[in-house]
Amino acid sequence: MAGKIVSIHSFRGGTGKSNTTANLASQVAMTGKRVGVVDTDIQSPGIHVLFGLDEHKMGKTLNDYLHGKATIREVGFPVGENTGEGEGRTQLAGKNLFLFPSSIKGKEISQILHEGIDFNKLNEGLQTAITEFNLDYLFIDTHPGLNEETLLSIATSDILIIILRPDNQDLQGTAVTVDVARSLDVPNLFLMVNKALPKYNFAEIKKDIEEQFQAPVTSVLPLSFDMAENASKDLFSLRYPDHEWSKALKNIVPYILNAK
Amino acid sequence: MNVDILHKIQETDFFKELSEEALAAVAAKATVCKYHAGDAMMRKGDPADSFFVILNGHLKIVTTDAKGDEIIINKVGPGESIGELALVDQRPRSAGVVALDEVEALELTKDAFFELLNKRLDVSLGILRGFSNRLRFSTTYIEKVIDWSQKTAEGDYSFLEQTQPLNNRAGTDDDKAAQLLSAFYSMVSKVKAREETLKQELERLSFEIDQERRKKEFDEITGSEFYAKLKEQAKALRQKRASDQ
Repeated sequence: MAGKIVSIHSFRGGTGKSNTTANLASQVAMTGKRVGVVDTDIQSPGIHVLFGLDEHKMGKTLNDYLHGKATIREVGFPVGENTGEGEGRTQLAGKNLFLFPSSIKGKEISQILHEGIDFNKLNEGLQTAITEFNLDYLFIDTHPGLNEETLLSIATSDILIIILRPDNQDLQGTAVTVDVARSLDVPNLFLMVNKALPKYNFAEIKKDIEEQFQAPVTSVLPLSFDMAENASKDLFSLRYPDHEWSKALKNIVPYILNAK
Repeated sequence: MNVDILHKIQETDFFKELSEEALAAVAAKATVCKYHAGDAMMRKGDPADSFFVILNGHLKIVTTDAKGDEIIINKVGPGESIGELALVDQRPRSAGVVALDEVEALELTKDAFFELLNKRLDVSLGILRGFSNRLRFSTTYIEKVIDWSQKTAEGDYSFLEQTQPLNNRAGTDDDKAAQLLSAFYSMVSKVKAREETLKQELERLSFEIDQERRKKEFDEITGSEFYAKLKEQAKALRQKRASDQ
């Protein structure tokens, strides 16, 4: 069976998208699946930090691939063999998790933004990543909004998870994204609510949003200061598996594993 | 008076402080009375001339409301005593007592009771100890209720977490104060839960989507040449994947 592309998207920034993607990909990898994570947020890459990758450790990037300077095989960074420090991250040792990072060099970022992305090339790269690394799931961390590269990732995805905060501005943007995803025939569409204030009734939020969009809400994750404090240092859900945020995040895993 | 009855008397809160010997002295003055279901043991307003210790069966303590309908204030059973306070304060019966099933009770008349108090210092002391234990016990619970009431009034429900939930214990008279505490605890728990639900309802988010704007933005995105091409590519890609599998 071919690997599935899982796009994680949000209409606005600050929804905790990269954090969710990194934690979710790690949780799926922990189940023994072969998992890839592509950072297509070329304008503002960030997910590499969560996997303990810095400027020095980072080898070839997606930018190199898009410029024909590297193969996808060269870009894939085996996280399971280089977990680095962090109580959470080290649990990934030996797991099949590969990160395809975007360049964090200012010059390379402005270059690609100036030249634009070759969509066919990117799409080809995603497919190659799946076959070359024999992936079960390839997670795509996208740039917020609905620009062309995001539309591409939505168009190619088997599973689309839209992250939103429970406020009207996010809801408005999510509505458009949901419509676009349906227009592009995405087979599995899920919503995930993040940063919900604990004073609200989460069950009500879930019900209301499911009614609005006629799509399943996988979970409602609380706004967490613990999370904010630890987030970029380590993989939170692995480090604090019993935290409310982690428990709610882990709820999403079966949605991904059971998607057709 | 047989040994069995003596033991039952000893199990009552009222007499539990008495020695075997003092107990025998009480028993000698008492008589066993029997009631069938529906029989009145005492009526409201009757002079208080004796008190009872229930040996077997159950009774209801009743009064009447403004319309004359019966209100059950409480139910009592074996080991509990009825009417002892009226003997001491000499007021008429404040409520009626009616048997609910076959009842066997030990009756000690006022005269016999006072004679015991007069002649037997050990019996008097035992009874006084019983009264004071009850009072002390009740006072502790009442102080607790006062403390909780003040906290509840200030919206401080922290005591709910700091206290083990109390079971609603039915039983002897002494436990009435404990029951009050238990009922109070459960009342505050419910008030707190209701308050929280109300708060959540008040703060329930109202989601609104501007449908006109939604359609306009959707049309803008999907109207481009890029999108048309993308849609076609996506369709081809999905078909290819479906046929690959």
